[in-house]
Amino acid sequence: MRSFWQATVSGLLIGGIYALIALGLNIVFGTMRVVNFAQGALLMIGMFMAYWLWELGGLHPYLSPFITIPALFGLGYLIQRTLVSPLLARERAREPMSVLLVTLGLALVLENVALLFFSADFKAIHTDVSLATVKAGGIIISVPRLIGMGAMILSCLALYLFFTRTDLGRAVRATGQDREVARLMGINDARIYGVAYALSTALMGIAAAVLVPFFYVHPGVGTSFLLKVFVIVVLGGIGSMPGAALGGLLVGMIEGIVGLYVQASAAQIVLFGAFIAILLVRPAGLLGVERR
Amino acid sequence: MTPRGTRTARILGAALLLVALLLPLGTRALLGHDEYWIQVLIWVMFFAYLSAAWNLIGGFAGQYSIGHAGLVGIGAYTSSLLMIHAGLTPWIGMLVGGVLAALVGGLIGYPCFRLRGAFFSLVTIAFAEMLRVGLELTDRLGPLEINGVRGLLLPVAGDRPWQFQFASKRPYYYVMLALLLVVLAAGWIVKRSRLGYYLAAIRDDEDAAAALGINPARVKLAAMMLSSFFAALGGTFYAQLVGYITPTRTISLDFSVQMVIMAVLGGIGTVLGPLWGALVLVPIAEITRALWGGSLQGIHLIVYGALLILVILYWPQGIDPWVRRGVEALARAAGRRRGAPTEAPVVENAPRIVLPEGGLLGARLSPNGGGTLLKVRGLSKSFGGAIGVREVSFEVSAGEVVGIIGANGAGKTTLFNLITGTLAPDDGEIWFGGHRLGGEKPDVRNRLGIARTFQIVRPFIGMTTLENVMVAALPRVADVGEARREAVRYLEFVGLAHRPHTPAGGLSTGERKRLELARALATRPRLLLLDEVTGGVDQRSLPGLVRLIQKVKGEGLTLLVIEHNLRIISAVADRLVMMHLGQKIQEGAPTAVVNDPEVVQIYVGGAAAHG
Repeated sequence: MRSFWQATVSGLLIGGIYALIALGLNIVFGTMRVVNFAQGALLMIGMFMAYWLWELGGLHPYLSPFITIPALFGLGYLIQRTLVSPLLARERAREPMSVLLVTLGLALVLENVALLFFSADFKAIHTDVSLATVKAGGIIISVPRLIGMGAMILSCLALYLFFTRTDLGRAVRATGQDREVARLMGINDARIYGVAYALSTALMGIAAAVLVPFFYVHPGVGTSFLLKVFVIVVLGGIGSMPGAALGGLLVGMIEGIVGLYVQASAAQIVLFGAFIAILLVRPAGLLGVERR
Repeated sequence: MTPRGTRTARILGAALLLVALLLPLGTRALLGHDEYWIQVLIWVMFFAYLSAAWNLIGGFAGQYSIGHAGLVGIGAYTSSLLMIHAGLTPWIGMLVGGVLAALVGGLIGYPCFRLRGAFFSLVTIAFAEMLRVGLELTDRLGPLEINGVRGLLLPVAGDRPWQFQFASKRPYYYVMLALLLVVLAAGWIVKRSRLGYYLAAIRDDEDAAAALGINPARVKLAAMMLSSFFAALGGTFYAQLVGYITPTRTISLDFSVQMVIMAVLGGIGTVLGPLWGALVLVPIAEITRALWGGSLQGIHLIVYGALLILVILYWPQGIDPWVRRGVEALARAAGRRRGAPTEAPVVENAPRIVLPEGGLLGARLSPNGGGTLLKVRGLSKSFGGAIGVREVSFEVSAGEVVGIIGANGAGKTTLFNLITGTLAPDDGEIWFGGHRLGGEKPDVRNRLGIARTFQIVRPFIGMTTLENVMVAALPRVADVGEARREAVRYLEFVGLAHRPHTPAGGLSTGERKRLELARALATRPRLLLLDEVTGGVDQRSLPGLVRLIQKVKGEGLTLLVIEHNLRIISAVADRLVMMHLGQKIQEGAPTAVVNDPEVVQIYVGGAAAHG
């Protein structure tokens, strides 16, 4: 029984990181109805930044967000204004599907440029917390993962407050619900989209900071996370913030528990089964709203 | 294309095919040891093939799959496992894999096609990813040895054509060429078939297509299954050519993405676009590989990614239009040299209208106004807290023209959306032709006989006027030719027969209204809902449009018309229904309703409020 709880907790902790990335994806989808395929590549950039800040500058990864968040926010805003915005304007009348392809192209460029500069080698750093563990009720908990979980909860809280308590956050939500009406209310929708995209990119700075102490950095790391996150987003409900959190934790847990009792491959098969079942029964996802 | 352009294109196509057929003979003479070059040519055709398969769903239907490598993997693994364990020749195994992939493609596509397109992209990529990881982690599946990441090594036994194994690359070249021709031909046929017209309509405007009786989910499903089938055949070819498959290499994301990029660069949704894309991109990959080899891997992917971004931003139609223009220019140049007139006179093939028995719209009319056609009882619909329509009841008799009037936000369009099945009511009943309507979707209701136009016109802008109307006629006729003849008649009826080949995007608002009317009429409705026929139309076009509605009325069709202009609606309608804030507040003869004090109050007040 102890190992069951151990597996559950470990699974939940990595699930928290999944949830963080899924959250970023859903912020963009929730406002622009766009799937950002570059999300993983932006996470990768955040991780490399945190890695080099430690290697060259000796900056602890947990302090890296002070630099990476503003940098990624700026990068995200720039990407949105130069690549995404013109397409949103062009495809106003229908679903902006070409944005999906452009972000796919961006991911391809970023990832392979990273490959060019940093090679495919797996890089790892060892900080004071990397291998630290705490014991609670007989369960061994990895400290960096626990911190990751904490960061996820804090980020959720901060985002919740941002979206419900600030004018800018409310403007982002309003634009996501009905762009035309938001415009009539005097909201500058182009700027709001820029902010939403930049916000989701900045979030990757946090994910990167908590990942780097215990996870390898390499050019494909972002995409490998993103692919799992797509499964999570489909399970939890596309565009749904609670769905992202729930889906992330659920997938982490399934991986942990099934991996413990059977094997890792069985966990994948269980996930696959759940994925197909959810798709057939609730195509919009567990917490998704079917909106066209 | 012009007729001469078409002729030139045929000649060029034949020449290209001849070159492709003879190329392997020439390379040896020119290059000596030519296996490498043959291999490169095979890759060009292979990627063109996969991209063309992807294009059937991604391009034709506008549903971007990012997981087609998963389907390729199904094909490769199915035929290879059947060969290893059952000794079945891959020639048959590839068909088994194709059918299996079509079923899987249908299974993952079906739930998505009722939702927005982004969802489909996510699901396909998640599917491919899970399939890859699943195979990587699986050593055995029952009696089948999957071998996890190590993959499958196909038993090699020299030159055995019957086993899809050849000693030299040359036969693979011809097999691939044949496969490529088949998939391109399939695309060509689909494009000109009923399915192709439906797909193009859905890609442009799914709701408008559904309003014409087309079931979008079913049509997209057909395209996805066809696309999956061909993708899987490519997988078997890959397995036989390379002789070795692993989940990591066969079901890679890069693979899926390359299919997309080639189609987009070549011209998304065109028949030959994938071929142009592959002709440009595969050599780029080969050149970078030759120059930098293994030391700088991934350079070609940087180029691919950058091209994808640039093409979508600045050049969304891709290479195909350039090729077409080149062919036309060549045709003109050839024509000049022969001293023929440079531009053949364009003869619009528009035969005189021949009214079918019982009039143009007659087939489905009930004669002498056979009772109530539409009955709406206690219909209610609210959006969140806002009321759309509240307890509205009225009836429309066959052959009658009923006008719906009211200010903006009175619930008129909501009422239409409820009758056509775009929205589901919270409460109340809709009876049509003596049957109570339930949860039928718009396409089903259209086939029952309810057609509509939209408040803001929604022509399929990627199509010509003629094609727009053909799409509407297709569900009810035997073949595309008949749909074309029908469409010409309806264009004639609405007065657009003189411009059948104008892109719908190039029409004026008034002409678009006529086009939409022709489209709705071509579905042969028993009840036609017209949403603001004169809205947004300039004053000079108004009388013509009103005459057109009179003409439709003269055919005896039952009409429900939303109209702001009281003078026009009074002239056209037999009866008016006045709506205000979601409720029916007045009903009766036009003069009575228009002069009703309450109606006047709302209209004058509303007009004042609008300034």
